[in-house]
Amino acid sequence: MQEDSTVPAMSRRALLRMIGISAGSATMYQAMASLGFAAESSYRGPIDLQGAPKGASVLILGAGIAGMTAAYELRNAGYRVEILEYNARAGGRNWSLRGGDTYTELGGTTQECRFDKDLYINPGPWRIPYHHRGILSYVKRLGVPLEAFVQVNYNAYLHNSAAFGGKPQRYRAIKADYQGHVAELLAKASQQRALDDAVSKEDQEKLLDSLRHWGALDKNYAYAASEASSKRRGYQKEPGGGLSARPVSSTPIGLGDLLESGLWTGISNGDDFDMQTALFQPVGGMGRIGEAFGRELGSLIKYNAKVTDIHQDDHGVTVRYEDTRTPGAALTTRADWCLCTIPLGILSQIPMNVGPELAAAVSSIPYASAVKVGLQFKRRFWEEDEEIFGGITYTDLPIFNIGYPSTGYHSSGKGVLLGAYIFGMSGMEFTAMTPAERVRKAVEYGAQIHPQYPREFDNGVAVAWHRSPFTMGCFGIWNEDTRAAHYDNLCRIDHRIALAGEHASYISGWQEGAVTSALDAIGRLHQRAIAQGASA
Amino acid sequence: MTRANFRRAGRNLALLCLIAASAGLARADEATFIALPDLQQASGAEIYSHICQGCHMPDAQGAVGAGHYPALAGNPRLASWQFVALTVVRGRSGMPPFGRRGTDPIAFVGARLSDAEIAKVVNYVRSHFGNRYPETVTADEVATLPHPGAAERH
Repeated sequence: MQEDSTVPAMSRRALLRMIGISAGSATMYQAMASLGFAAESSYRGPIDLQGAPKGASVLILGAGIAGMTAAYELRNAGYRVEILEYNARAGGRNWSLRGGDTYTELGGTTQECRFDKDLYINPGPWRIPYHHRGILSYVKRLGVPLEAFVQVNYNAYLHNSAAFGGKPQRYRAIKADYQGHVAELLAKASQQRALDDAVSKEDQEKLLDSLRHWGALDKNYAYAASEASSKRRGYQKEPGGGLSARPVSSTPIGLGDLLESGLWTGISNGDDFDMQTALFQPVGGMGRIGEAFGRELGSLIKYNAKVTDIHQDDHGVTVRYEDTRTPGAALTTRADWCLCTIPLGILSQIPMNVGPELAAAVSSIPYASAVKVGLQFKRRFWEEDEEIFGGITYTDLPIFNIGYPSTGYHSSGKGVLLGAYIFGMSGMEFTAMTPAERVRKAVEYGAQIHPQYPREFDNGVAVAWHRSPFTMGCFGIWNEDTRAAHYDNLCRIDHRIALAGEHASYISGWQEGAVTSALDAIGRLHQRAIAQGASA
Repeated sequence: MTRANFRRAGRNLALLCLIAASAGLARADEATFIALPDLQQASGAEIYSHICQGCHMPDAQGAVGAGHYPALAGNPRLASWQFVALTVVRGRSGMPPFGRRGTDPIAFVGARLSDAEIAKVVNYVRSHFGNRYPETVTADEVATLPHPGAAERH
């Protein structure tokens, strides 16, 4: 595919490609910074809820991470706690699909996951940065074992279907070559005295040294085929032992081709605060956290409960709901306080007597479109054939990502890839397909990167978050305008009702947002409860 | 409609189908995906089936879970083109806004539709799925509605 000759079309395509390559990655996150992404966790250690009024009760709506964090702490503080949960399981978006699981999406299509034992995908969150101290503290308290999640893998690919004849490039080579060429250019500029205004003579010598070091330049400050550059980008023939030991250097990609390819957009994928080593995943799937929370809270959670009305008065909050297994029959429950973690698109449809500011906030936040596809293959060809152990390949194809499992390395038998992790326009288009079509398209596109796909494909599942009956979208999307107009109103307690969840945080789309918003909300609820004391 | 007109209409329909099929072939490398620049050529039906039906479903019957996506088929609120167009432009109750002006990142939000594209899909849903509202809306009329992010445009 050639670039269009007209400049506007070219820049649009380039932009699209950039978005495709960097989705969920560094460039995306820089772009999203104004939307409150990449914010540091506000978690500062276990919450202190001493002095709960005797007999005070809190009704929690939603047994996701926010709701269960709140329930765990409030129960421990002596509150009477009840959770209503729409699903038949705990966890919400904290969820793993494993062999034998079934999932029915909106529209009525049921998928049966046919993965082998111990294989899974996480349709929702799949990684926990080390500095998400809140969620990690609960993982620890609940005894959920963790393992390393590989974000950056130098042997995974960056892929542009319109560059290098569509051949995927190893991250290692793109990073080394970009760095090398930029270092060489800067060294030249320095030697041609182009930097004299900006850098002192003494510092220019240090700069030259650092550029040689950083860019793997040769003694003439050139980035070329050499032992030094091959140590970064890989060899044409790797060093070995014995008579066949001598390595052969590889030849760097030229600067022009590199820039034209756009693959440089993928270099900083692991550089953002949220993506820096170390990251973690629970052993056995992200859903282990929700499951452990569910076991811990036991009968406090009422499952299959669909909330239909939330009504507060001077003394408490009454919630009407129905059992989804016997719809039609209205059930009610009541407590002194209510912590509501229902995703906003759904909550905006539930009658709730709150002030106009909170009501406006609830109905003003759209939800991200996102799709994940899990693909089971007959063997772990990415490890066996391509030496890719964990990490992520980024592509301009509509699948955006291929995620390799950060677990079970070198095991024989079948393996499961995250075959697509799609946002935005492509996410919407994948959502509009049937699950079977999504899987088929993920295999078809992925085959452009891994030709083993058609031969090794076994089965797959696809979750489109706008088709999820329990969220109707992936996560709340804020921008500067909505943050200014609605965020504080969304988080403020309205009489006896408080909201929590990732949508009530500046860590949108991360479990840490759910945890920190829940702790913040129950801390304030607790103060109110104490202030009202026994009169509640 | 005379018999001849009817036959011509039938031929045109067949021709349209052929064009649609070949347009699909022309985008073979993009498969069923409309790259954003290609949206300008997409019909209302294509925009619906590639974007809207993700939530409102292929038959426009909507769906019910913990909340619901409203049916567009037989929905009396579609009587007002302004209501429909404004909903697409600005979003509503969790539905993303599609008419955002400017060039700020919308990657997670989804698609940015032009006024012409919005007009096409509004006309499509108001004349299909059992809906028969005769008047159509133009891009210029959609442009008169308040768009999110509009201040950044000038």
